[in-house]
Amino acid sequence: MSPVPITFSWWLLPLLMALLTGAMAGVVGPLLVLRRRVLHSNLIAHAVLPGVALALAAGIDPLLGGLASGLSVTWLAEWLSSRRLLDDLGQEVVANTLLAASLGLGVLLIQALDGDVQLNSLLFGDLLTAGTVELLRAGIALVMLLVLVCSRYQHLVFLAMDPEGAAAAGLPVRRLQQLLSLATTLVIVSGMAAVGLILSIALYGAPALIGIRASTSLAGAMARSAVIAMTVAVGGFGLGMLFDSPPGPVIAGLCVPLLLGFSASLHRGGL
Amino acid sequence: MLQVQGVSYRYPGKASPTVLAEVSFSLEPGSLTALLGPNGAGKSTLLKLLLGQLTPSLGKLLWNGRAMAPRRPRLALVPQRSAIQWQMPITVRDLVALGKLAGPAAAVSPQPDTTEALQSMGLASLAQTRLSQLSGGQQQRALLARALLQKAELLILDEPFTYLDPPTRQQLLAVLRQQAAQGRVVLVSSHDWGDSLQGYDRALLLDTTLLADDRPDRVLERLQRP
Repeated sequence: MSPVPITFSWWLLPLLMALLTGAMAGVVGPLLVLRRRVLHSNLIAHAVLPGVALALAAGIDPLLGGLASGLSVTWLAEWLSSRRLLDDLGQEVVANTLLAASLGLGVLLIQALDGDVQLNSLLFGDLLTAGTVELLRAGIALVMLLVLVCSRYQHLVFLAMDPEGAAAAGLPVRRLQQLLSLATTLVIVSGMAAVGLILSIALYGAPALIGIRASTSLAGAMARSAVIAMTVAVGGFGLGMLFDSPPGPVIAGLCVPLLLGFSASLHRGGL
Repeated sequence: MLQVQGVSYRYPGKASPTVLAEVSFSLEPGSLTALLGPNGAGKSTLLKLLLGQLTPSLGKLLWNGRAMAPRRPRLALVPQRSAIQWQMPITVRDLVALGKLAGPAAAVSPQPDTTEALQSMGLASLAQTRLSQLSGGQQQRALLARALLQKAELLILDEPFTYLDPPTRQQLLAVLRQQAAQGRVVLVSSHDWGDSLQGYDRALLLDTTLLADDRPDRVLERLQRP
């Protein structure tokens, strides 16, 4: 008797990819929001582009290129910020300058390399092209993220709430921040297929804000944020299919009514 | 004992002014000391030096006669309100329990557990309340309860009385006196130059250099002198 071949419905892989991307964004989002690192994660989202473009052109896993370029720019941003360029004023300028420069360099590289790298797919995602490799990458990234959160949970709580107090207590604050940057880069590159590098930022903000507001623990905020982000990702995928639109932009767009609903709920005294 | 010997500091950069100039003092275990000075006097810089966030340009920081870096004392910090993420989703009990995270203890006295720390700060009934739902005074007490669990030899508080009413200040000050009485060095950076200064053992008046290091009443006299 010959084995029955396993077949996937065409929508199963993109659906799983959307779920994994939502879960990753939902877990890391509350940490970024509480640490006021959303702008920083936006910088990383742009900074990975040159590395991803180079890696794809060279036939290397884009995760490696993205990690290398994302972490290098993060290090450069932190070094420049530590130079006290006009004190606090300099930090936003540093982040936005490097963000724009990374995007520019990525676009230039993609044009210069003249390969099969699709700029639109990298920036805005293409869920329908997600294959088992992307799914596996996202699954591994989610597991690594959960291992980090579970193994360093109390440290992350202390860091998110009171970084100065955590440093004074002898916690490895610098190493935790580096791990957080690494996890953010990993999540952004892994979710690239679903929502793209640029649009991924939407999934880190609104779901996390609601999760934080509705919870009395960081774990609760992460769980709620993940459920909301997964719902938005799957909803965006479904709407994209229904209206024959690319899912990435629809997923990002859905975060706006989410934010409006949250604002209305707060206004009514809910949550 | 904490000894600050001839410490000077200026931030990197040729045009940077000297923030601290030849500051020297020592703090005995069991002492509750106020660190006073106007804005820009160098109080925050001095605290950063004690916390190991900065390195002195000149001079030495010693703990029990040995250099504080890299062997620093067991430290607990209650930072300025602006440094805290008050929207953190955390209950009062979980916040206080973070104090247990600090490394192995060189305890100066038996330490309370989380429940005792909550009770000592009058927060037992609020243990399951979210931090953001507390009043300003209750939030400060919760941070102090966390510090109690950290088994610190050196307890540093940066402007802990900001926005607090006088009774709450007195209550917190009483807790700090208890902490000092247990053999800790307690240093409080404060803008409060009023009557509550009398609750301290000593006051350091800083304005780039150390202008006064004396009993609070004498430092107050000096401040009131034209």
